[in-house]
Amino acid sequence: MTEGKLSEDEIALYDRQIRLWGMAAQANMRSARVLLINLGAIGSEISKSIVLSGIGHLTILDGHRVTEEDLGSQFFVGSEDVGQWKLEAAKDRIQDLNPRVELKFDKQALHEKDEIFFQQFDLVVATEMKADEAIKVNKLTRKLNIPLYVAGSNGLFAYVFIDLIEFVSEDEKLRSIRPTVVGPVSSNRSIIEITTRKDEEDETKVYERIKTRNSYKSLEEVLCTATLKEKLTRRQLKRVTSILPLTLTLLQQELNEGSEKIGFELLNREAAAWCGKLGVPMAILNDEYMQQIINQRYIEFAPVAAIIGGTVAQDVINILGKRLSPLNNFIVFDGVTLDMPIFEF
Amino acid sequence: MARETNLIKIIGEDNFQKLRSSKCLLVGAGGIGSELLKDLILMEFGEIHIVDLDTIDLSNLNRQFLFRQKDIKQPKSTTAVKAVQHFNNSKLVPYQGNVMDTSTFPLHWFEQFDIIFNALDNLAARRYVNKMSQFLSLPLLESGTAGFDGYMQPIIPGQTECFECTKKETPKTFPVCTIRSTPSQPIHCIVWAKNFLFNQLFASDASENEEGNKDWGTDDAEEIKRIKQETNELHELQKIIISKDESRVPEILHKLFIQDINKLLAIENLWKTRTKPTPLSDSQISGSSKINKFDSNSVGTIHEQINHFIKITQKLMNRYATEQSHIDFDKDDADTLEFVVTAANIRSHIFNIPMKSVFDIKQIAGNIIPAIATTNAIIAGLSSLISLRVLNLLKYAPVSKFTDLNMTFTAKASNLSQNRYLSNPKLAPPNCNCPVCSRVSRGVIKLSPDQLKKIKLSDLISLIRDKYDYPEDISLLDASDQRLLADYDFEDLNGRTLSEVNLGNGSIILFSDEEGDTMVRKSIELYFDVNDAFPHDTCKLPDIRIPLVKSSETSTNGDEDEDNDVATTTDKQEDGGIVILDEDEGEIELATDPLDDSKKRSANLEGFGEPSSKRKKLTNESADSDIIELD
Repeated sequence: MTEGKLSEDEIALYDRQIRLWGMAAQANMRSARVLLINLGAIGSEISKSIVLSGIGHLTILDGHRVTEEDLGSQFFVGSEDVGQWKLEAAKDRIQDLNPRVELKFDKQALHEKDEIFFQQFDLVVATEMKADEAIKVNKLTRKLNIPLYVAGSNGLFAYVFIDLIEFVSEDEKLRSIRPTVVGPVSSNRSIIEITTRKDEEDETKVYERIKTRNSYKSLEEVLCTATLKEKLTRRQLKRVTSILPLTLTLLQQELNEGSEKIGFELLNREAAAWCGKLGVPMAILNDEYMQQIINQRYIEFAPVAAIIGGTVAQDVINILGKRLSPLNNFIVFDGVTLDMPIFEF
Repeated sequence: MARETNLIKIIGEDNFQKLRSSKCLLVGAGGIGSELLKDLILMEFGEIHIVDLDTIDLSNLNRQFLFRQKDIKQPKSTTAVKAVQHFNNSKLVPYQGNVMDTSTFPLHWFEQFDIIFNALDNLAARRYVNKMSQFLSLPLLESGTAGFDGYMQPIIPGQTECFECTKKETPKTFPVCTIRSTPSQPIHCIVWAKNFLFNQLFASDASENEEGNKDWGTDDAEEIKRIKQETNELHELQKIIISKDESRVPEILHKLFIQDINKLLAIENLWKTRTKPTPLSDSQISGSSKINKFDSNSVGTIHEQINHFIKITQKLMNRYATEQSHIDFDKDDADTLEFVVTAANIRSHIFNIPMKSVFDIKQIAGNIIPAIATTNAIIAGLSSLISLRVLNLLKYAPVSKFTDLNMTFTAKASNLSQNRYLSNPKLAPPNCNCPVCSRVSRGVIKLSPDQLKKIKLSDLISLIRDKYDYPEDISLLDASDQRLLADYDFEDLNGRTLSEVNLGNGSIILFSDEEGDTMVRKSIELYFDVNDAFPHDTCKLPDIRIPLVKSSETSTNGDEDEDNDVATTTDKQEDGGIVILDEDEGEIELATDPLDDSKKRSANLEGFGEPSSKRKKLTNESADSDIIELD
């Protein structure tokens, strides 16, 4: 990624965000190339946000035709588009958001895409994925050393998985009474360097520039080894949302043949097993949530898509702009309580 | 499969029908507003009314995704409605107007809605809509963002905290002497250039005479005298502007940047502990004709700043004549911005303060809050999502009490937490000292014009007393002009009709318990909605329950020692009662968004066990005085 100078027009257009992340981050974003897999409700939100933000290039891969159901959660398509290729219906509307962004629309099926195709991107975002597909994509992104985000929802309940493989981030913060120290801060994060600078206007303020190494695991590994034992206190374990074991159960079931239909009994049994692996009490599971996540499986709901899409897009922008520490590495969202914890696996 | 199939799986067929027949009000069609409009449409709300005063600006386009380059200068509300047509399935009604304009949006207009979504960018309108929601007992979803930070708070009148239950951040202010005599940071020079110099030279009626009892930030009589004198001399400078004589601009420079600085240097006390300023030299202020355009992101030399100052002052001189002797500072008016930039930078140079770029000064002078699409999308998503619970449309998550609902703050993005993306504390009950929602109950009384002429004041008193269980001893006031209508020893008007005592549509009366026991019935404010369309015998009091409360003398006791460790916020640290230059404090606010306060609160939540107890302590902040804030 090369840094070029921003034009006065760009500075005027991106004024309100440059004031947040600076000119250099904005210039970095302009040279980034991103692949978005599937343009559903979450995909629409992500493409909207990153196109508006002024990213360099976005390819959207989607081979679906517009259905009546899509109209209930997606804003790039209308009733006159039903039956058309979704990309054909949406492409002008997406380009219209920001003519400066180079867009490419690709209707080819994901399984026909090879390494060479993926190689052209700095980052991949995959939505509406079954776990088996996501793992395949993840194998490729790992091989090619490309950061990957996977996001999906089951009605009011949603998740984001992040695999940046290894990522060194730089944050700046005001030094508190207790200065930050070099060393591990959690299982996946470790501070490797701290430099300081004084505020140019107020000498008593000292800023710490903190370099953190973030390490990640593949989705396949997370589905095998995820646990919270020894990461959370007993009290914290008791308060873990049931959406976590339920989401992990659904993802793991997708690796099995004929996983489309999952009944209450099976979900209950498998989720209980996941509670054991995670180290959380089985009491966190409740029948109503289990029934709802079954009823609402694979449904995309506009407000949830906005929250999840906004979360993913923000992190994509942060790492492309090389600002702020990235998410690490599994987030679930409960649309009833608005609970949205981040777990490190 | 139809478009609503999935929604029905989430909320059920009957609740879907309820949603289709719901009417909501969206206040604001900007950053959060455009996102909310999209979400509410996709959630299949039956009818959405959108109010926005603003027109579209270039700097909106990085996030307000319904607007394009070609829409610049068009009204936001109508443009947004046009832009969503291809996916819209709701009845949309746009208004270009100010939601606080009572002639277009009287109280009874708000009454048609089931729920209000705030997507506002200023405190005044937030407060106003909050009040309307309290009057009508309409649920309000309040939200706001600033950069990566955002919050969303459901407000259920009478059940949960209202917008005013917590103290909002007060604007940052500076003592007069720092601005006028001893600047030490770029912002001091920017405030001087914008709020003082620009206004003195170009604002219509620049009267700076009432300087009687402001906080000067100094006791040095000599210095105060100098400041006052300087102000008078500035009126002389305005005469130069009025003269339209471009050749006299160097006189302005000479006065501001040589003469005034020399006078300051003469007050030796000021410079005992400070670096002395260096006035410009005569040769510096002569200027030159060669001028390059300013690059918005670089600073340039002092020489360039002076040349630009001369050029832009001449330009503004000519504008002043054509624009009826009145130019307001506007960050998007390049001329006024350039004047402030160059004046501030020249002053900074003199005081050995780093100069700043146009880009940076625009942010401070224009009070620009950074804004991005992603935070707005997240906050709007949360606001629309929680509306399902506020309207009780999720069967499997029924709401038995509204304090079980959650508000949210960005936690990770705001650097408050590494293990939560959002924090979601439960809603608190109303703060018993809140001047808006707790000290008085509110409601609307509906009357036909017939009844207004028929009902006697004594009838009205009996009706209210019986309906809400007030004791014998009460008082009744016309709240709009504080006119006493009745109390224990004033019953002269009791035999008159309501219209005879000048009550009518839009009147507000205040009815209070005057028994004086330790427990009293809370006061009620009633808004008169008189409408021809009501049946002729209509006289309907609102169906609300008015609680007994401790009488005000005893209500602020308790928790006092707890207050002390949290109540001292930053604005109290300095030598109390700082006052800014004077007029127009809104202009100098550095944080108009209530977010900072919310953030402070959520920051306090992190790492503490039970959010609600901590919250109570914080909300008591405003309890340490008995002041009732009146708008």
